Amino acid sequence: MAELSRREMLIGTAVGGGAITLMLAGPVVGFLLSPLFTKRRTETAVIGPIDSVPVNTPTPFIARLNEGDGWNIGPIPRVVYVVKYQQVVGPGQPPPTLLVFSNTCTHMQCDVHWDGTFVGAGDPVLNGRFICPCHGGLYLMNGTNIYGPPPSPLPQWVHEVFTGEDGKTYVRIQNDFTEKI
Amino acid sequence: MVEATKVKLRPLYQWLDDRMGISALMNSALHEAVPEQGGWAYTLGSATLILIALQIVTGIFLTMMYVPSFHESYQSLHYLQTNDLFGAWVRGMHLWGSYTLMLVIGLHMIRTFMTASYKRPRELNWVSGALLFFVVLGLAITGAMLPGDQAAYWTMTVVTNIPHYIPFIGDYIRWLWRGGKFIGPITFTRTYGIHIWLLPPMLLGLIGLHLYLLRRHGEFGAWVNYDTEGPDPDREIAARIAKVEPPYPSRDVDPKFAAPNRTVDFFPNQVFKDTLVSLLLVAVVFVMALLMGAPLDGPANPATLTYVPTPEWFYLPLDQLLVLGPQTWLIAFVVFVIPGITATLFILLPFIDRSPERNPLRRAHIIVPGLFVIFMMVTLSVLGINRLYNL
Repeated sequence: MAELSRREMLIGTAVGGGAITLMLAGPVVGFLLSPLFTKRRTETAVIGPIDSVPVNTPTPFIARLNEGDGWNIGPIPRVVYVVKYQQVVGPGQPPPTLLVFSNTCTHMQCDVHWDGTFVGAGDPVLNGRFICPCHGGLYLMNGTNIYGPPPSPLPQWVHEVFTGEDGKTYVRIQNDFTEKI
Repeated sequence: MVEATKVKLRPLYQWLDDRMGISALMNSALHEAVPEQGGWAYTLGSATLILIALQIVTGIFLTMMYVPSFHESYQSLHYLQTNDLFGAWVRGMHLWGSYTLMLVIGLHMIRTFMTASYKRPRELNWVSGALLFFVVLGLAITGAMLPGDQAAYWTMTVVTNIPHYIPFIGDYIRWLWRGGKFIGPITFTRTYGIHIWLLPPMLLGLIGLHLYLLRRHGEFGAWVNYDTEGPDPDREIAARIAKVEPPYPSRDVDPKFAAPNRTVDFFPNQVFKDTLVSLLLVAVVFVMALLMGAPLDGPANPATLTYVPTPEWFYLPLDQLLVLGPQTWLIAFVVFVIPGITATLFILLPFIDRSPERNPLRRAHIIVPGLFVIFMMVTLSVLGINRLYNL
């Protein structure tokens, strides 16, 4: 075997060491990043009937939704707040809008809950608050973030409304929000 | 008859010592000079080490029962708490060990800060210690995320959501940590991997560096260890340096602080104090684990309308900062900028406070900002307790 020069030896060792590092790092980093390239499963769940939900009164339903990421671990309970929101109550007004909220706070994603005891100054939308127990964020019944750290309104579930075989109204929700939070 | 059965240990030890060099190793490990005065204050470092060892031992045994999964994490710990004879005790020791560790690390840092032990040539002792502190914080928060009960689930939710406020790449980091959009099976395996395999080797490596640097430069002690008594300080200091034992005199330093005025041998003097303090702390952990144990709420429920999540006490200041910083850019400000600047200044402290002065009374420009940080953390904690527990 021919004599190696100091220069050849150092270059050879550096190239070899670099190759070893790359062969380890490539698969490992790819493995680490793989959730970014893995397609989410679309999962749905049905809640309802929602016919008896009163106007301007957020009403919680529990949807049992499968996780969309990773292996299936069975349905996970999720809260769906159904709100029939009517800005001005009275005869001759447009019909209520159906809002289908998640109870996920847009600040740190804690579970908010509806507290109807606040009374607004005559305006129905000011009655009651969604309260986040973690850092004190408050939302109105139409999802507007009005106080505390939440940076954006309460998210809605991706959903479709349909009439069941019993003639009542149901909502099918999907494991995604309409807004990015 | 007794003589006949007596095992001759001395030849056996001699045989081992010839092959392994045990005596030489023990001599170099146990015999070195340490400052005579203030030895009780210098026990906090070894106490930290013993408590970390306790965490590793209890943690290893907890892996023999715990399952890192969305549902089974809770089930396995519930079984450990209720059906296993000593399970609750071991888990209690892991929790109270972490609490005690957090307190002792805090005291160790305050001691080092007050006595300016981080000054030349010990800058990297401080930097490695500061990094150790952040690794321990990482271990504490990932540990709090794992039990699979309500407290852990909401800790997991909030903590994995925080990276989302990093500009540009935040959403990807949140997605990668969770392994998806919501908390799911991959969140548990990843957090567990970080808690037991990623952070502990970093911890051990930094401990190795920290101890190596301690032995290289010697224990600094405090300003009182460098006082002179006679009318001729220069001669006194020169005599001190001439007769001091290794690892002193310290290299690259003002002669006044190169060697302590009086030293004692690490063994038995300091070892005895270290052992006594560690014994006391481990006993506290042992008893608190038995009396209080570690709490386990109901199983994680992502659809709760009543549960009020509360952070671990050592994260209360940061949690309260979250409350005080409404709106998007302020969230990034309070989550990253304020703690980030504080952490950077904290790590780089030896390169900021560079004067040879060690007496805290003559370092007001450093001590006052330090006390202000401590005061802010206490104030934020009090505000947080008031908010969460309605006192």
